[in-house]
Amino acid sequence: MRSFSDYHPIVIAVWFFSVTGVAMFCNHPPLMAIALCGGVLFFGVRNGLSHGRTHLYFGLLFTVLALANPLISHNGKTVLFVLDHNPITLEAVLYGLNSAAMIVGVLYFFRSFSQIMTSEKLLCITGALSPKLSLVLSMALRSVPMFGKQSRKIADSQKAMGLFSEDNIIDDIRGRMRIFSILITWALENGIVTADSMAARGYGTGRRTQMRRASFFAADWLFLGLTLGLVGLCSAAVGAGRLKFEFYPQLRAASPGFLGIAGIFAYAVLVMLPLINETGVKLKWKRLMSEI
Amino acid sequence: METLDVRDLTFTYPLCNAPAVSNVSFKVEKGTFNVLCGATGSGKSTLLRLLKREIAPLGEKNGQVFFCGTDIDSLDDRKAAASIGFVMQQPEQQIVTDKVWHELAFGLENLGIASAEISRRTAEVASFFGIGPWYEKETSELSGGQKQLLSLASVLAMQPELLILDEPTAQLDPIAASEFISALKKLNSELGLTIILAEHRLEEVVPICDRLLVMEKGSLIADGQPRQVIAGLASKPEILCGMPAASRLFTQLGGKGECPLTIREGREFLEKTISGQIQRLNRAETLVAGDKALEFNSVFFRYSKSSPDVLCGLDFSVNTGEIFCILGGNGSGKTTSLAAAAGLIKPYAGTIKVFGKKLKEYKNRSLYRNCLAMLPQDVQTVFLKNTLREELSDVSCDPKSLPYDITHLLDKHPYDLSGGEQQLAAMAKVLAAHPKLLLLDEPTKGLDPASKSKIIEVIKRLKENGVTVCIVTHDVEFAASCADRCAMFFAGRIVSIAPPNSFFSANTFYTTAISRMTRGIFQNAVTIDDALELCQRNGGCS
Repeated sequence: MRSFSDYHPIVIAVWFFSVTGVAMFCNHPPLMAIALCGGVLFFGVRNGLSHGRTHLYFGLLFTVLALANPLISHNGKTVLFVLDHNPITLEAVLYGLNSAAMIVGVLYFFRSFSQIMTSEKLLCITGALSPKLSLVLSMALRSVPMFGKQSRKIADSQKAMGLFSEDNIIDDIRGRMRIFSILITWALENGIVTADSMAARGYGTGRRTQMRRASFFAADWLFLGLTLGLVGLCSAAVGAGRLKFEFYPQLRAASPGFLGIAGIFAYAVLVMLPLINETGVKLKWKRLMSEI
Repeated sequence: METLDVRDLTFTYPLCNAPAVSNVSFKVEKGTFNVLCGATGSGKSTLLRLLKREIAPLGEKNGQVFFCGTDIDSLDDRKAAASIGFVMQQPEQQIVTDKVWHELAFGLENLGIASAEISRRTAEVASFFGIGPWYEKETSELSGGQKQLLSLASVLAMQPELLILDEPTAQLDPIAASEFISALKKLNSELGLTIILAEHRLEEVVPICDRLLVMEKGSLIADGQPRQVIAGLASKPEILCGMPAASRLFTQLGGKGECPLTIREGREFLEKTISGQIQRLNRAETLVAGDKALEFNSVFFRYSKSSPDVLCGLDFSVNTGEIFCILGGNGSGKTTSLAAAAGLIKPYAGTIKVFGKKLKEYKNRSLYRNCLAMLPQDVQTVFLKNTLREELSDVSCDPKSLPYDITHLLDKHPYDLSGGEQQLAAMAKVLAAHPKLLLLDEPTKGLDPASKSKIIEVIKRLKENGVTVCIVTHDVEFAASCADRCAMFFAGRIVSIAPPNSFFSANTFYTTAISRMTRGIFQNAVTIDDALELCQRNGGCS
């Protein structure tokens, strides 16, 4: 049994896009609540008590988003109170809470996504689409830090030679501009060597292939199948209109019926899938350790 | 059949009158190790690039190159790319991708090889070169030596029949360079790979090569077994000065018989020929006893809170008017100590004084005005303009006031200059600020022997003009010939300081080739001139 982040990149990506996709294209409050709780829980389980700042930002964002809607939108039948000649309605408050839950939930999922999807996994996915695209990405990933490093090096050597003669902002900015311009020249000059090195190793002699490092195991198929099955069930419920929810002019939910409830349940299981997997992994390790 | 057959190759760059390569013919036998040497600008790189079709320069080409009996122009694209491997000088720039494993797979992916086969070949080549432990790493995290080894491995993954290398060790420190050379030796002797290597550092390469080719001004002036070639170079001191110390001593003494190449052979030669009793030169080592130009008082530094100390209790001082060389292994903190002296990084404990004044007291960057200047290791970072002329007028430097002549280079782009020229041009720019204390970081890196002696000359001239020079270097031969005092840097501090003659004759491992060769025969021969003088006093070559 492997940890969720060790699954095949395509499996991981499919799961992430299923979870966030359903959350973004549907506004059913229970689904949003599940998405928000799932997002926070997933991030929390992966990172423990660290990343306090992220939680703070997202909490602030949630508050701002939830408050902004009733202040701007005055639709809805049930007026709670009047603020400076503007009616604040219950529907707008609930709508604000609902969309804030959706946005923050999805943002939490994306934070986890960017932690899990290392450049290598990203390349694996793009490589499946086009080996050329994957190469371009790989080269870009290499050159960005290289430029940063070179610009720091140039700035240091110019400083030690007295380029920034005065200790003031204008002189600093002028110095930076000159460094930027030579950095472009340096990049082009570098590019020639890199291009030679590519040509010398047969770049452009025909179709490229891609070395595949990740392979699909039975568990990958299982996880992928479960994800697709659950998201299918959930989409069926959404598509059949069982998870329709209207806020304006007044709250009105379609009767979910069996399919609707199954859809909500399927989404909950989908969101929890990696956590279930992780718990399984932990238990298994514990058992293995106790046997030693 | 020979792997490579070059017939009457002549090549002229566009808009040039003289050919860069003229009438070169030679053959390379299968499984041989060939070394190509010659001064910068002698056409080595051009010749090597002409042998690799994909990166051959544009211009007028006459003559033919046959690879295994086929003209290289009529080879199949993929076969040409795969069977002739080429490794360049720049470690950083010739790497294409962001991960080590991807770099190894890059060439194979280009050839359209199936994924399973790529996995097998990269695994094979990674184990051969011991890349396993850093297989998953980012290429930007690697050291220079690892980068070059990676470039070599990624070329070999394509299973070439001929490997061409253009000064692959020029940017490496001596330890990494000799590791790289031993990898080449292993490839040649264990896999029978045919190799053509262009090099400046010949001390280690010449003893293991089968053939030595010497180029001068675009033509091949010597081609044969290294012992014979070197014996014939007595009339060409500028080429001879890059050869192994043993062979230089032999040729300059006019020795007879077989030319020694290694330290061991050199010792045997000396033991046989030297009969006199004089073992010691009386070198008066006068110390420059001026005020302190640079002082470190128990300086401690680390890059981040949790990392180990890079400088740990560094204590030394440089006297005004002397040339002070700091030697030591990689990662020992030499470069960091220069950065600290130049005020680029702040130590967390200890004080650094420049001309008796603490660094902190130099307000408003006055440290860099008429006081201290540093030339970094990567001299390209010094240049900001499109021509050298603009570069110098920008810092209001008059090229005529320099202690050396660079007027013929003024209209070139700084990046187009050769390594030695770049070093001199960068130094011109630094000298414009009229520093009294000059800090140099690896000034001889990647230079050919001729440029090296030029740099030594310039540094000595600066000293005469009253400039204090503090140099960080790996190059023991360079330090031995120009320093007033040498210091050994190890683990964040200086462990010994002495004038070069006593410094190097006291060291057993970390010393010049001459000193290692004459140990036990002479007491204090450090440079080739010392050894020559001692030999002559002992009656010369019998």
